[in-house]
This record gives sequence, structure tokens and C-alpha cells, in this order.
Amino acid sequence: MDAVEKANIERQKRWTKDQKVGEGTYAVVYRGREVGVGRKIAIKKIKVGQFKDGLDMSAIREVKYLRELKHRNVIELLDVFSSKTNLNLVLEFLDSDLEMIIKDRSLVFLPADIKSWMAMTFRGLEFCHRNHVLHRDLKPNNLLIAADGQLKIADFGLARDFADPGYKMTCQVITRWYRPPELLFGSRYYGSAVDVWSVGCIFAELMLRTPYLPGDSDMDQLKTIFRALGTPTEEEWPGHTKLPNYVPVGQFLKAPLRDLFTAASADALNLLTRCLIYEPRKRISARDALNHPYFFALPYPTHPSKLPKCAKQVASRPLEEVDGNVEKDSTGPGVHAKNGKLKRKLSSPLDDSKGRTIARRLDFTKQMVT
Amino acid sequence: MTSSPAPDGTAHDKPLYEASTQFRNWRYSPEQLTKIRKVLNVAAVTAIRHNFEVDEPGSSANVSFLDADEELLLVKLYISKITQLCALFRFPEEVEATAITYLKRFYLKNTVMDWHPKNVMYVLVTSPYRLTALFLATKTTNNPISIDEYTSRIPKTVPSDVLDLEFLVAQSLGFEFAVWHAHRALWGIWLDIQVRFLKNMFFNSLTIIKNYATDSTILSMSEYNLALNYVRASRLTDAEFIHTPSQVALAAFSLVAPDLALQWTVAKIPRDASHSGSSMSTLPLVLESIKSLIRTSGHPPDVESVREVDRRLRICKNPEKVPGTRAYMAKRAEEERIAEEKRARKIEEVQKATAGDPFGDELQNTGQLPGLVDYDDDDNDD
Repeated sequence: MDAVEKANIERQKRWTKDQKVGEGTYAVVYRGREVGVGRKIAIKKIKVGQFKDGLDMSAIREVKYLRELKHRNVIELLDVFSSKTNLNLVLEFLDSDLEMIIKDRSLVFLPADIKSWMAMTFRGLEFCHRNHVLHRDLKPNNLLIAADGQLKIADFGLARDFADPGYKMTCQVITRWYRPPELLFGSRYYGSAVDVWSVGCIFAELMLRTPYLPGDSDMDQLKTIFRALGTPTEEEWPGHTKLPNYVPVGQFLKAPLRDLFTAASADALNLLTRCLIYEPRKRISARDALNHPYFFALPYPTHPSKLPKCAKQVASRPLEEVDGNVEKDSTGPGVHAKNGKLKRKLSSPLDDSKGRTIARRLDFTKQMVT
Repeated sequence: MTSSPAPDGTAHDKPLYEASTQFRNWRYSPEQLTKIRKVLNVAAVTAIRHNFEVDEPGSSANVSFLDADEELLLVKLYISKITQLCALFRFPEEVEATAITYLKRFYLKNTVMDWHPKNVMYVLVTSPYRLTALFLATKTTNNPISIDEYTSRIPKTVPSDVLDLEFLVAQSLGFEFAVWHAHRALWGIWLDIQVRFLKNMFFNSLTIIKNYATDSTILSMSEYNLALNYVRASRLTDAEFIHTPSQVALAAFSLVAPDLALQWTVAKIPRDASHSGSSMSTLPLVLESIKSLIRTSGHPPDVESVREVDRRLRICKNPEKVPGTRAYMAKRAEEERIAEEKRARKIEEVQKATAGDPFGDELQNTGQLPGLVDYDDDDNDD
């Protein structure tokens, strides 16, 4: 047998598949363990045989970027192996995601909790951007939460390298509610600012406990954005009326964010505002966001281990469709909602049942943003 | 696979390149490369010789197997074929460079004497793997085209010829698809030199300013293009396995404009003594060694010498991978036997599990049980 095939079999033997935890058209997700170590892992088995063009782009992107990106706030790809006509991605096992936490009405978020999730999101994102990778599908259910509370950016099925200036990219990326206006107007030249807009929407959602800008269609998405943030003027966003898919969607006045985010600190609102600046070149970068006063002001971010956790994550929530294909031309809600899900929403019984007490001391020792 | 980020989860002071799989897993010394190829070659010759003997005792005596150098010559030929294909498809530089890197990495894990059964019957002078490496590169660089369009433009090729090898190629690459290319580094150096040139930041030497500033052709694209051609030539060598992309790029630039390259280097290396001491003392040696690699082996192989090697390759191809030979049949039979055993084991397990079931016994005897096996969970069946 060829050495390469032998090596592949050796890799395969390192991991066990214990239980199927989800299935879609193109992929099956198993919970498993590392043999001999016992560490919990997830195996995403992609049925490559179903793709006419061989390994599909979504799987290739995921493997390409996760092979390179090793960071505490990015999901870890532990191994890759093939079995017959399947491609298997071995990923670290993560119990829940930020969407579940946001939706869990039994949880109370303190401002310090939100700050902690935001810090971890920006750290992971800054690392991606530093490595010239655009994520292009940030949303709460792609931010997975580890047992120790660490947040990990997942699902790189739409990621790509920054293009050279003047090199066209597709504007059909990012789930609609988190998609920035430049993409909605059809801009084919863009950069890391698109991800920052998504993080801004997530930030708002953490404070509101409901999606901030939930448009019903691409057109309605623009309207929803403008209703919330005011219709951009030429001065605010020079040249936006020249974008390929520009359409006037009505004039809305800018309402003060304070009206909606009544409990937010001034620093928090300032950072939120800078994530949601219309002119992409003026939008704050992930790196600058990490240095924003918000992260240095009291209250300091909650230590990840003390963040609110989903108690219900053990309940057998149905797994979302686990899919591998990108629907390039679709414009439906969450264009890529079917794309490369890595959700592992089932988990072993939660041992961390202590929960947390409401009165907690502030943790000044860790989580200082540098 | 064992990267360990700094405690805070970041690695600010480590160059990004050093976190890459290319830096961690695809760097070798020239001696290591020689040894890897030698070991691969010897193992392949031993295995194939054995297969010849299985097929027909005594038959391996007349075969003159390829040695490692001859294999390398063929790999070089395949590389030049990739370039031709890319011109046909008008693929971007990124695709071509990536496909070539894939093919070179592939042949650090496989030998040219081991042929895939489906592709062995035709196009002897070309490696079928090169078609797969190129197709894979179109996808990993975000320039995908459909397999039908791809194969329709390559004579005598059908989609399965390319796709059947995709896993083997991807496995050989360790599923590490990201490649740092010298041509990107060259573009960066080129941009940086223009900025510095315009700002007149590092031209302390009046003579150089005179030489370059008065010559309007300097800093024209032709300089860059000449250097790019040297980078392309370097792809036919082992340079990318031994040196960093920026070293290769700088060497290529230095072949075109040595003074400018030197000035740029001096300006770029930190003045900090501890740092510059080591870099400045080793860099010229590194550059010289790359330049010499490009000069001596940065060209496609001579057609006549390849023809001879290719003729012998036809004779010594692995019979285990040629349909119809006894060795091929034997391997297939063995694979079938193993698969059969696995199925049997699985059935047995199911039977055991249902043994206590009062409704289970009858089923076992009717031979219906295979239907109960969860084939979806089994990677060893079809």
C-alpha cells in the first residue's frame, strides 16, 4: 500500500466516532474522542462523492484556512483524513454557540459579559485579518462557545484571502442581517470592514437580545439599516450612489442610538457606532477596536469561565442542516444558511451546573486587552 | 500540527510566515531532499520488483528501474507541462504557482513509478497527477472552473481521471492547501522599492541615484518582469523547499538589478546590531545559493534525456497498478477479501447485539441482516 494511504489510515485511527449528532445533505457530524487521550472532538464527514466537481469549495476553504489559523478564539481543526469518498474534518468539540446563549431567556447578561464576548470575537477576528483572511459569514451561531467559556470563530466555508486592489470578489456573502450596506449595494471590491460590520450587528444583538437589523429581503435589509442608522448622505459615504446595485430606498432620519440602547455605556455606544460607520474605509478595524477605550473601562470583561452558559444545551435541539454547498446565486434570507454548518448542539450532560451567582466579584486579573 | 500559540493566544512577535504550514512542514535542507527522494525511490523499486516477480518470476531482472535523479527529471517535465496547460486556460499566476508547488510536494511523498490504474493506459509522458494538482489549485486559490469545462479542453481526459486522484493528491499534501509564493514576495519588494525610490529614502549612494534615476527604463515594469521570469524559473528547482519565498524573490530581483537589490536589503534590515549582524552575514550566501540553483537547474529538462527516461518508465511501471496483470488481480482480490471480512465482522456485531431479541433469531437465519447494518456509518463499504 502507498505510504500516503497508510499515513491516512493512521490518522483515521487516532479518532473515534461515538455518536451521530447531525446530518444534512452533504455532511454528517459525529461526536467522538481522541483515542488514548479521551478528549472530546467533533468529526464532520463531508460526502464528497455527491459533488460533481470533486472536493467542494466550502470544504476546501474551511480546510485551507483552519489548517493555517491557530488561535484561542478560532475553532481548531485538529486533523483531516479521507475515508473512501468522504472527507473528514476533526474539530474541537464545542457545546454551544452565541445564538443559543442570546436566545436563552433564562440567562441574564451583565455589561461585563457582553464585553468579554466582544473582546474574544475581536481577538479572533483581528487574528484572521492579520493573516489576510476575510471570514465573510460572521453571525451569532458561527461564534461557538467552548466548555471553558472561550468563544471561537467557526465556519470558514465562505472565507477567502484579501484580494489585491482591483480584484473582484463576490458580494453574495454574509448572512443578510449581518451584511454591510456596501455588499447590499453590490460592491465587488471590499475588505476587512465587511466583517467588522457583522461584529457591530452582533454587538447590538448581545445588548438587545434580539437581532438588530432583521431585514426580510435584500431591499428590506437596506431599509432596515437606514431606518435604524439614517439614510447615508453623500458626505457621510462618498460615492455610494455609484455602486452597481444602488437603489434609493427612501430617506430616513438618523435616530440617536441612545434611544434604543438605553443601558449601554458611552464607550459601548461609541464602539458600536464605529463598527457601523457607512463608509467602509472609516469603519473601525478589528485591531483598533481591541484598543478602544470600551475594553479598558470598567467594568472589565468577565472571565470566560464565569460567563453565562446555556443550561439547555444538553436538550436535543435539532441540528441545523449540515451542508457543504454554497448557493452562489441565491439571495434568500441567510444566503449561506445552509453552508458548512459546524454546529454541534448536542453535548454530554453539562457538568457545570453550578451556574453563577448574581453577585460576583470583578475579575481584574485576566482578560486585559492588549 | 503541533503549533503552540503564545499563552495569550496570539503570536505578535512571530512573523506570520513562521506560523504557516509551509514553514512548519515543507522546509528541507538539500541533503534531506536528496535522502527523501532516494528512500522513496529505493522503496518503490523494491516493491515494484516484488510485484514483477509475483507476476512472473524472474521478470524483474531485465527491468532497468529509474533512479531518484531520473525521477526528478520527469517531475520537472511535468512542471513544464503544467505551465503549458495554464497558458491554455489563461489561469492566473497564483493557480500555476500553486499547482506546481502541489505537484512538487506530491512527489516528495510518491514516486513517478507508481501509477494509477485508470490513467496508466495513455499519455505516458505526462503524470496524471499534474492534472489533478492543477484542478485542485484552481479551487484552493478561489479560481474554480467546472470539471467538465476543465476536462473538455484536455485531450483524452474525462472527469473521473482527474477526480479519482483528488484524495490521493490532497492526502499527499497533508490537506495543507495554503502556499506562500515567491512571486507574491517579489511583487511586495517591487512595490516597496518604488515607494522608497520615490521617497529617495535609501539612495545614499550618489552613483546609484545617477545610474537609476537618469535611466528612465529603470523601475519600469520590464525590470519586474525579468525578475518574475527568474521566480518562474525557480519553480523548476528545489528553492521553495529550502528557502523562504522572500529570499527566492530577492535572489530573482538581484539577478536583474544586483545594486538595487543590495541597497534595498541594507535599508530593510534593522540597524539593531544583533539582528543585522547575523542577517547581513548569511543573506549574501543564501542569495548566491538561490541564484546558482536558478542558473543551473531553473530550466525545463532536455527533451532527449527525458525521452530515454520515459521509455524506461513504461517498462518499469508498477504492475500492481496495471489492470490485467496478475499483480493487479492479486491486489484487488486482497482488497476484496479485507472488505468482505469487515462486512462479516459488522454483521456479526449486529447479530450479537440482537441475540437476546426474541425476534432477532429468525432474521439472522434468513440472511436479511446486512440490511440492518448502518452503511452510512461505515467508511469501508461502497
